[in-house]
Amino acid sequence: MDNAVNPLVEMIGISKSYGGVRACRDIDLTVRAGEVHALLGENGAGKSTLMKILSGDVTDYDGTVSIGGAPVRFAAPADAQRAGVAMIHQELDLVPGLTVAENIFLGRELRTRLRTVDRRRTNQVTRGLLERCGVALDPRRPVGELRTGEQQLVTIAKALSLDAKVLIMDEPTSALSPVEVEQMFTVISELRRAGVGIVYISHRMDEIGRIADRATVLRNGSVVAGFDTRDMTAEAAAEAMVGRPVQAMFRTRDVDPGEEVLRVTGLALTPRRERSGRREPDGISLAVRRGEIVGVGGLLGSGRTELLETLYGAGSAGTLRGEILFRGRPFHPRGARQSLRAGMALVPEDRRIAGLSLEHSVAANTVLSIVDRIATAGFVPRARETGAVRRITAELKVKLGSIGDAVGTLSGGNQQKVVFGRMLLTEPVLLLLDEPTRGVDVGAKAEIYQLLGEAAQQGIGVLLASSELAELVGVCDRVVVLSGGRSVRELDTRQAGEADLLAASMGEGSAALAVEGGENA
Amino acid sequence: MTSEVTTKQAGAEPEPPPQQRKQRREFVNALFRFQSLFGLVAVFVVAVVFSPRHNGELLFLNADNLANVVRAMSEIGIMAVGMTFVILVGGIDLSVGAVLGLAAVGSAVLMVNDDFGVVATVVIVLAIGLFFGFLQGMASALFGIQAFIVTLAGMQIARGLARIWSGGQGVAIAYGDGPGEAPVTFSLLGERTFNGIVPIPALIFAVVAVVAIVFLRTSAFARHVYAIGGNEKAARLSGVPVTRVKVIVFCICGFLAALAGIVHAGQLNQGSPNDGFGYELDAIAAVVIGGTSLMGGRGSVVGTVAGALLLGVLNNFLGLHGVDPNVQLLVKGLVIVVAAGLQRLRPTV
Ligand SMILES: Nc1ncnc2c1ncn2[C@@H]1O[C@H](COP(=O)(O)OP(=O)(O)OP(=O)(O)O)[C@@H](O)[C@H]1O
Ligand SMILES: [Mg+2]
Repeated sequence: MDNAVNPLVEMIGISKSYGGVRACRDIDLTVRAGEVHALLGENGAGKSTLMKILSGDVTDYDGTVSIGGAPVRFAAPADAQRAGVAMIHQELDLVPGLTVAENIFLGRELRTRLRTVDRRRTNQVTRGLLERCGVALDPRRPVGELRTGEQQLVTIAKALSLDAKVLIMDEPTSALSPVEVEQMFTVISELRRAGVGIVYISHRMDEIGRIADRATVLRNGSVVAGFDTRDMTAEAAAEAMVGRPVQAMFRTRDVDPGEEVLRVTGLALTPRRERSGRREPDGISLAVRRGEIVGVGGLLGSGRTELLETLYGAGSAGTLRGEILFRGRPFHPRGARQSLRAGMALVPEDRRIAGLSLEHSVAANTVLSIVDRIATAGFVPRARETGAVRRITAELKVKLGSIGDAVGTLSGGNQQKVVFGRMLLTEPVLLLLDEPTRGVDVGAKAEIYQLLGEAAQQGIGVLLASSELAELVGVCDRVVVLSGGRSVRELDTRQAGEADLLAASMGEGSAALAVEGGENA
Repeated sequence: MTSEVTTKQAGAEPEPPPQQRKQRREFVNALFRFQSLFGLVAVFVVAVVFSPRHNGELLFLNADNLANVVRAMSEIGIMAVGMTFVILVGGIDLSVGAVLGLAAVGSAVLMVNDDFGVVATVVIVLAIGLFFGFLQGMASALFGIQAFIVTLAGMQIARGLARIWSGGQGVAIAYGDGPGEAPVTFSLLGERTFNGIVPIPALIFAVVAVVAIVFLRTSAFARHVYAIGGNEKAARLSGVPVTRVKVIVFCICGFLAALAGIVHAGQLNQGSPNDGFGYELDAIAAVVIGGTSLMGGRGSVVGTVAGALLLGVLNNFLGLHGVDPNVQLLVKGLVIVVAAGLQRLRPTV
């Protein structure tokens, strides 16, 4: 039937191996002009590798790639860009020391007539680009200062600036909250109308249904299924990805909350030194009881991460106001070490940057927080160490070859479980989690949610910050919504749904709160 | 056509059994991890095969010569062990050569001018080294100044202190019981033990190395050291007392540099403020040849010891052949480049 014009992109028989690992095996993929083609699969399925081949990043592969009917073989990403292919990378590839604008025009700087870099025009053009994505970011700010989500927006703007015919988006939203995602979808729709072909990779299944026209599922480097998204169910897609029926993502739990483990009243932080881009707590009140999972929602820059860091004693130095009661007693955050001793543990936002030492073994990473506890006279008994590691990795079902393997060789979901396991080994009563499933595939996500449920069942209080609505509504018992560093609303997830949460995040929450307050009065 | 759901099975082609693949990877990794050991063996073999002969005897293998190799390397070796700790947390200590000089001067002045006994002298000098390391560690870890800069300054300061303390000149150590004479015990440092085979400095080096190796393999503190070098932010969030560990590591390094200074004074029977000039670079070279990453988080004292011995054998071998010292420098530079280059080839995660 295919007597239409040539597809925009045609990849035939693509194979690629890394040493013994076969990342792509004989993959066929087409992308048409004006369509959004989703690429689905577990962590390590080969999605990024396939797209790196298309974008000229990986050059040593078997098979053929054609663009607009003409076979191409890119030697470098610059070649691909010239041919109209741009890619937003999953691991953000920005230079931290350069500004937003400098990053966007890196390697193709705008010049003045004197051949010097034209800063003014660069900043101006950048501002326009950012506005198009609905981002209010100063083009002159160094990228290193930005939050992960903001950096993600910068890479998106950078890709847009290339005016590509083919745009590859590798997990562009993993650190974005609903409003930014919405904005990005608007941009994608515009691009689609303009005839751009888009490849979209995401582990957020709800996005796929909304934005994609077709979906291709990879497993272990092979194409295992193709869908038209109009008649694709999330279950069917998940099953194709994992290769077996996936357990229900979210389960209802019988919550029987115990005593209060954390109560925060009017928490505010005046930092000693103002750090741009941080939204320090400015009036946050919430409570977590044992066995409860409390969500922290809000937009990008609403201060979710800062709240968790402040509680844990890992935030900015400065003066704290308000009150923190932890296990019924006033608590002064002094640092990670003291917090862990007191029974408070944090799983940080970005496991590669703040969670793991990637080249060290799974074992070393897992026991790091308890090495001095299990040591006798300063020495770590091997048996006790491996015992602890074996126990927790088995409990969390971490998929690994041996506990001596470098943790960087594990898939994203399993890396996350290692950080999680390290914290569980400290036997906390309160677990702070910051975006625990970012970039984690469906199967592992379901497992992590289940583990969270089990932890709560054992009487741990959980405070979960997330930008994913489905996660907050599906996993948490209650959600506290932050806006501008304040807690503006608290939702009970038995009654409230994603739409309510989104509305609350976008600011209608404060109005609603006023109404509620009025009713009470 | 597009509305149809197509499903095909994932292909099941044969792959090398994972077990075998992993063994190979581990083997390659071990090769790189202990590159300096293999390098040492290689250089040693070359030194034996091409050794100059005297009446049919291989001069290189002569007991006196071998004793000399280890004796000559022991000071650098002791310092390099301390340097390994600092480099493992991602730091560097440029002051060790100057601290060696300060310690050598201190040993001489305390015994000769101030009539201190050996024990008191050794304790004081070691304490000075430790305290010096402590200050540098505090400045670097607490105030967040780069170790390179702090210890660059520390190097000047230690050198300056050594000059002031010694009055700018070498202080000779004469042995005896009278005033202005050092206790004879101190001269043991220049002697040999075990039937006059093993030089005392080499023995001290061996003890230091063994203690450090065991410590780095088994202690909880060592886990913290590696974790900081691997990912400092993650280590901090995991409850590792980063500042404390860094300060302690600099203390260890200063302490061992002072110990090397005492050994130096004992061997040369004097303490001069210029002693140990440029030794910091040899110590760093030994660590690098030993396969420890300057980025931190990866490396071992075993490697460092082998690296130090490799440099020693190389020096000795070239010396035996009467190679121009300037050419010796060239060769040493090449060895460092090759060692560092090999680490680049090391498979990473
Ligand atoms: N540079 C590399 N060197 C060695 N192996 C690699 C490299 N890049 C990817 N791999 C391996 O290739 C396989 C496919 O990886 P890829 O990054 O394409 O997965 P992915 O589908 O994008 O996963 P994720 O959802 O986690 O991003 C994995 O087994 C991975 O470990
Ligand atoms: Mg990927």
